[in-house]
Amino acid sequence: MNYKPGICTFCGNGCGHFLRITDGGVGGVFASRNHPVSQGRLCVRGWNIHELLSTNRRILEPMVRRNGTLEKVSTDEALSLSMERLMKYAGESPDLVAVLASPRASNEETYLLMKLARTVLKTNNIGVDSDSGHRSSMDVLHAGTGFPGMLGSVKGITKTEFILVFDIDITKQNPILGSEIHRARRGGATLVTVDSRETQIARLSDTFVRTKPGSNKVILGALAKILIDENLVDSAFIQRHTAGFEGFANLLGSLSYDDIAAKTGVGLDDLRDIARKLAGAKSAMAFYPTGVSGLDSDMIGYLFNLFLLAGKIGCENSGINPVTGLNNLQGAFDMGAAPDLLTGFQPLGDSKAAAKFGDVWGVNPPAKAGKAPYAILDDPAGKLKAIVVMDHDEGIVRYAEKLKSVDFIVYIGAFENPFTEFAHVVLPVASYIETDGTYTNTERRIQLSRKKTEPASGVLPGWKLFSAMAGKGGAKWDYSSAEDVMKEISKLTPIYSKVNYAKLEKSFGIQWPCDEANPDGTESFSLGSVNRALNFVTLRGSYDVPAASKEYPWQLMVGKAQHYWHQNNLMKITKIPLREYNATLLMYTQGFIEISVADAKSLQVRDKWPVKVTSAQGTMNVSVKVSEEVGDGTAYVPYFVQDMITKFLLVHDEALKYGEDATIPVRIEKV
Amino acid sequence: MYLIKKSEVLNIARELAKDHLVYGPVTDEATGQVLFDSLDDPGKADLGAPIPTIPPKNVVFPQMECIYSYRYDKNSRAVDIRQVNAVKPKALFGLRSCDLEGMRILDRFFLGQEFVDDFYLNNRKKTFIVTNTCIAPFAQCFCVCTDSGPSAKEGFDLNLTELGDEYLVEAGSDRGKALAEKLGLAKADGSYAAKKTAAVDRAMDLFTGFAVENKAWVSRVTNRVTTGFIKEDVWEYIGDQCFECGACTFVCPSCSCFNIEDVNKNDGSTERLRSWDSCSYEGYSKMAGDHNPRKPVEDRRNKRFFCKLSYSQSKKYLRPGCVGCGRCAWVCPGDIGLPNVVTYIRRETTK
Repeated sequence: MNYKPGICTFCGNGCGHFLRITDGGVGGVFASRNHPVSQGRLCVRGWNIHELLSTNRRILEPMVRRNGTLEKVSTDEALSLSMERLMKYAGESPDLVAVLASPRASNEETYLLMKLARTVLKTNNIGVDSDSGHRSSMDVLHAGTGFPGMLGSVKGITKTEFILVFDIDITKQNPILGSEIHRARRGGATLVTVDSRETQIARLSDTFVRTKPGSNKVILGALAKILIDENLVDSAFIQRHTAGFEGFANLLGSLSYDDIAAKTGVGLDDLRDIARKLAGAKSAMAFYPTGVSGLDSDMIGYLFNLFLLAGKIGCENSGINPVTGLNNLQGAFDMGAAPDLLTGFQPLGDSKAAAKFGDVWGVNPPAKAGKAPYAILDDPAGKLKAIVVMDHDEGIVRYAEKLKSVDFIVYIGAFENPFTEFAHVVLPVASYIETDGTYTNTERRIQLSRKKTEPASGVLPGWKLFSAMAGKGGAKWDYSSAEDVMKEISKLTPIYSKVNYAKLEKSFGIQWPCDEANPDGTESFSLGSVNRALNFVTLRGSYDVPAASKEYPWQLMVGKAQHYWHQNNLMKITKIPLREYNATLLMYTQGFIEISVADAKSLQVRDKWPVKVTSAQGTMNVSVKVSEEVGDGTAYVPYFVQDMITKFLLVHDEALKYGEDATIPVRIEKV
Repeated sequence: MYLIKKSEVLNIARELAKDHLVYGPVTDEATGQVLFDSLDDPGKADLGAPIPTIPPKNVVFPQMECIYSYRYDKNSRAVDIRQVNAVKPKALFGLRSCDLEGMRILDRFFLGQEFVDDFYLNNRKKTFIVTNTCIAPFAQCFCVCTDSGPSAKEGFDLNLTELGDEYLVEAGSDRGKALAEKLGLAKADGSYAAKKTAAVDRAMDLFTGFAVENKAWVSRVTNRVTTGFIKEDVWEYIGDQCFECGACTFVCPSCSCFNIEDVNKNDGSTERLRSWDSCSYEGYSKMAGDHNPRKPVEDRRNKRFFCKLSYSQSKKYLRPGCVGCGRCAWVCPGDIGLPNVVTYIRRETTK
C-alpha cells in the first residue's frame, strides 16, 4: 500500500490525512474519513501538503557563517561551534541567551529544546514564536477554571445550540473548524458572528454584526450588562459554582447604554437579541483567535465572564474555545516553552514541581523566571548576545534591526527560510514525516505522527539533534527514540501522565488531561472534574474606543487572520497554495489598503489606484483594494505583506499589541 | 460467462499480479478506511468493502507526477530531455462501475480528442480492468441517476457479480476471456444471465430507500444547467458555502484538470511536474494581466456543475460528467456535494 495515515501539520486543527509514499517520496495526499476532527475534509492547504513535503527547498546540510557567507560544514563542527559559543554567553550570564521554540515542532522536540535551555544553557529565557494571544488565552482560562486550553471540543460543535464566532475569519484560518460550525448551523444551531469585516462565516450566520474596529470589549461588556439588567443570568449556576460575580457586575456599572451604538456601530436591539439567544440556549460555545493576531487578555476575560454569566462554562457542549492557528501552538506551551512555566502549565515558581523536574533531570531548572525572547527584543534596554531559533515564521522580522546586534544566532529548521540570513549557524532537522512525534491540536488532542520517509543522509531528527547539542554542552541524554522522550514528558506532566505511544497508535489521538482519573483523555472541561469555584476574571473597566478625528477619519485595522498564511514561510514553498494565497497579493504588488465602495467613491479612486496613507506617526503609499468586506470609515491592511507596510506598521508597536483589535487612525488621500 | 467460487475469486488478482502491478480496494488497518491502492499482497483485496474513498483516478492520472525532466546547458545551449515514465502494466481489480465510467471520461478527455496525452496514455495503456457489480448500494450512491451502475456495461476485461457463494465472471474483451480460460474457470450456463439481472434489479430497488431526493432529478437539473435558467441567488447560495478547498475535484473520478510546474532540482536538472488542480481555486482561472473570467466563487462553482451536468459536456464525453459515486458529498466542508446542489436547483425549479 502506498497510502500511510498521518496528520496534517499546517493549522491547529490537526486534521487526519493519508500521504501517498512512493520511492521514498511524497506523491499525494488524501483525506481521512474516520478521523474525528476532520471526518474526510481537508482545506486548500491540506489538499496540497504533498507539494511542501516533496520540495527540494530544504535545509539539508549544517552551515556556518564565515566572512559573511554561510558555508557547509560537518554536523559535528556545527554542533561544537554552536554549543561552544552558546555556553560561553550563558556562562557570562544566562540572561544573555534566549531560545525561541517553534509552534510547529513536535512536543518531543519542543520539550527537549526547553530542557536544553533550562539544564544546559541554564536559562529560562524561552518562548514560542507567535505566542502572545495564546498565552493570554491560557492565562485567562487557567485563572477562571484551572483548565488552560479549549474548554469545549470539536465533537461538541454539532451538539451545541448557540455558537458565537468572535472576530475570527475561521473558514480561512482553520477551515475545517469553520466547516464544523457551518455544519452545526445547518443542523439547527444558532450562529452569531461578530466581526469588523464581513467574512465567509459572517455570510453563513443567522446573525452578523459588523463592529467598529477597536470596539470588541464594549460589545462583550454590553452583552454582559444586558444579561444582568434583563435578569438573564443563570443565577443558580453563579451562586453554586462561581466566585467574583459582584466585582464583574460593579465593573460593568461604568458602561453606559447611551453611547454603545455610537462606539460599536451596533444597535442595542441587535445586542439584546444576541444576549437573549445566548441566555436562552441550553448550551453555547464561542470561538476566538489566538496567536499573532489574537485577542488580548482583557477581551478574552470579558468573553469568559460573559459565558460564565450565562452559565455556559463547564456544562455539556459549552465553553469558550481559543483557536490555535498553528499546528502545535498548544503543544509548545504544554511542553513548557515559556519563561515562567514548566510542562503542562506547571508554574516554574512551584517549588514542588521544580524539584520533581530536578529529580528527573539531575539538574534543577533555574529558579528565577526568564523573559520570552520577544519581550527581550521588545525592551529597548534588553540585552541579548545569543539566540536559538527553531522554524520561525515572520513574526521575528519585526526585530530585524535588533537582531543585527545579537552576536550569535543559531537557526534550526527543515525547510529553506529567509531567517537564515540572520543566522551564524544553520542546523538542519528532519521534517515531521521523517521522524516520530506528537502534536497537540487546538482542542487539546495529542496525536502521533509516524515516520514515513527517511531523512537525507546526515540530517538528524529533532530528538537526536537536541541530545547531540546537550552532549556538546556537557550533559548526557540517552534517548533512543521520540517515544523515550514522551515517557519522560508523561512522567513530569500531570495532564499528559497517562499518555503513551501505544495508546496514541491505537486511537486518533487523546485529549488532555489524560491522567489517572481520565486515562482515555477528556473531551471537554466539566464542572464535575474540578473541586473549586469558577472565577470571574478580574478586568479593566475602561471602555474607550478609538475615535475618528477630523484629521484622521479612517480606522485602520491590521493583520487579520485571513492573511496569516500569506506570510507563512511554508506556503511560499508550495505551488498551488502559493498561487492561491498570492492571487490577491500579486495584483497589488505595492501592497494594498482595503476600503469600502462608498469611501472609494468619495476619494475618487478606483481599485488598484495609489493612495497615500498618513497616521500621526508615519506615511506610506499603497494601492487601494475596493471591497465589500470592510465598512465605511474603516480600512484594512494585511500584516507584513510588503516591506513598506512593515515599515509603516513598525512605528505603531503600541497599537499592534491589541492583536486582532488593533486600530490606527489614518487619513487616506488620492495621489 | 464463467463461474468462480467466492473463496477462490482472489486467484484472479493473484494471477494478474504475475505480470501487472495490481491495485484494488483494501482497508487500512489503523484507520479502518477503504482505499483503492496498490496491493502488496493481492490476497488482501476486499471485494466486499464499501466503495473506496480514493477513486482509482490516481492510478492512471497521479495526483503529482514528474512527466519528464530536462537539463539545459547554458554554454552549448543544448537541452537534454529525459522521459522518466516507464511503467509496468497495471491491473485494476474490483473496480466499481461508477469508477470505471469516471475513467472512461478521463480516457475521452486525454485520449479521445484532437491531441493524445502521451503521459496519460503511458499510465493507462494495457491496463487490465476487473469490475465488481454492486449487489447493494452504499449510503451516498446515486449511480442509477447518472447511468453508471450498479453493474458495468462495457469497458472492462472481466466483470464480477456476486451470486451467493460464487461469482459470475463475464469477459468483456479477448484478454479477459483468455485469462478466464487460463484459470480454467467453469462455464456458466444461460440461466446465469437472468440471475445477474435479478441481482442488479434488487440492488436498484434498494436505492429507493435512500436516494429519493435525487432520483430522476439529475436529468431535470441538466436541462436547467444547460439552458442557464438558474437564478443568480441560487449560485450565490452555493458559492457562499464553498470553502475553495478543491476536494470535490480531487475525489471526483472524472475531474481531469491539472497544473504544470517546473521544479529546479539541486543537481541542476529541472523536473516538469503535473499535478491535480481545481476549478474551485481562484488562481486556476486567473489569466495574464490580472484578468479572471471566473473571479467570484459562485462563478467557479457554476463552472464545476456545468462540467458535471450539462448537455454540451455530455455530448463531448458521451455521458454526464457525474458518475454518481457521491464522494464529493463526503469531503465537502460546505454542504454542496453534487447531490445537494441538484436538490438546491430542483428546489428553485419546483417553487
